Amino acid sequence: MKGRLLVLCFICSMAMPLFAQDLANLQIHGFVTQGLLYSSNNNWYTTTSMNGNVQWTDGAISFTNPLTDKLRVGIQLHMYELGQLGGPNVDVDWASGDYRVAPWLGFRAGKVKTRVGLFNDSQDVDAVFLWSLLPEAVYPIDNKSFLLSHMGFDVYGTFDLGKQAGKLNYTGYAGYRDLDLHGGFVNEFAHAPFFNVYTNAPSGSVYGGDIRWQMPLRGATVGVSELVSRLEGTCLTGNIIVPSNLLYAYYGQYERGKFYAAAEYRRWPYTGSGIIFSTFPIPIVEDLREWYVMTSYRVTNKLQVGTYYSHYLNAAAKDNSLPANYSKDWTISGRYDFNQYFYAKVEGHFVHGTALDYYTVTNPTGLKTNSNLLAAKIGFTF
Amino acid sequence: MKKSILAFLFFCLFLGCGIAKAQEVAVVANKSVKASDVSADELRDIFTGDKTSLKDGTHAVPVTLKGGAAHEAFLKKYVGKSDAAFRAAWRSLVFTGQGAMPKTFDTDAAALEYIASTPGAIGYVSAGAANHEGVKILAVR
Repeated sequence: MKGRLLVLCFICSMAMPLFAQDLANLQIHGFVTQGLLYSSNNNWYTTTSMNGNVQWTDGAISFTNPLTDKLRVGIQLHMYELGQLGGPNVDVDWASGDYRVAPWLGFRAGKVKTRVGLFNDSQDVDAVFLWSLLPEAVYPIDNKSFLLSHMGFDVYGTFDLGKQAGKLNYTGYAGYRDLDLHGGFVNEFAHAPFFNVYTNAPSGSVYGGDIRWQMPLRGATVGVSELVSRLEGTCLTGNIIVPSNLLYAYYGQYERGKFYAAAEYRRWPYTGSGIIFSTFPIPIVEDLREWYVMTSYRVTNKLQVGTYYSHYLNAAAKDNSLPANYSKDWTISGRYDFNQYFYAKVEGHFVHGTALDYYTVTNPTGLKTNSNLLAAKIGFTF
Repeated sequence: MKKSILAFLFFCLFLGCGIAKAQEVAVVANKSVKASDVSADELRDIFTGDKTSLKDGTHAVPVTLKGGAAHEAFLKKYVGKSDAAFRAAWRSLVFTGQGAMPKTFDTDAAALEYIASTPGAIGYVSAGAANHEGVKILAVR
């Protein structure tokens, strides 16, 4: 027994320097934000925002370790609470190994962020944006998990096309994704007629790709993304199946010094079916057409201001002039960085239409077509 | 004659200002870096996380300063971003699992020490502080 202990101690003593050396490159970063929502007419998300609501907290911590010149591993833990959504649950936002063979070829595997459009993979990282809420038509904060990440792998790289032609970045991926059991989609179903609480997180396979061209015009990028996904979920009273469907997005951005502008168009048509009580089928037909244009200007190194227009339409609806089938949002925003770590944001939303943002549970008496929202946030990042 | 002298002095002054501005920041690298010069495009790619190696194949480890005139000048001249936009871009890579933050130092001296002792390290310091035994100054094409 003593001999075994000695061997164990010897192995541990040999391993410790290696462990310490490996941890010498470990990077720890994180952010925490606290928000305020105050709205007119309708309660936003699942909060009581008409009375002013501070149930909007968000935070993440990431651990990254470049093990060699080409290999990096990391994990990020994330939590959010937005009214009744999220809650005190800590989720693995991503956890992956990344091996970059050459500039034109790299692999990522594990739980990885899904690259669709300009901001899909970073949409839950408040610290990097001017906006408190990204354009809701394309990046709804209450349903981030729909496309945010997948369990699987990425293949990615960059081709240098020469000084006259710019660069081409590509990403291809495949895997499957789970929806957030505490997110907006599941919450809304829990309060819908007939359907009930999901017994497990709706999930399904996903694969797709993204190609973006960094143009010779410095700061200009255009790109296209395509994603094929399917979704299956089981409720207490039935199930939902959305067979494989294609989402595609076109986008562009331009950044020069203090000026930034971007636009994105996304279309997501799909059909599916829900079956309740094992007998009654309900067809699901949607044709989502979503786009936004945005611009911002950095007035000083600490102050940034901007505006965007975001547009959402379900074109498959029988009457898409009904407010329930569209949402149009004008937004103005400002961000002030007190230093490298602390920042504050203030944002005004002027929304027409009720297709997004609102939940039956906090608007039991119905919805008004127009609603304005003041969103404010303070954040800390390191 | 007086006018000519005045014009010459003015020209010298103008030239001097130009040189002073150009010399605000020096790009330095660990001696393991084979190249003696680097293109502005390569610098931008390295310091935006687009690339992790130089054209000569050397693995590049970007090293940045926390702030100051050399930091501002470097970002403006070679990266084309403000300090806040530069930090936001790196945070975006880190928080999406696509990159690791560059090593950042408060002073030229600390940055130089790190660059001198880290193979592949490439960074920038105030031009006046760039002379250090363990590093080489890279010309920017």
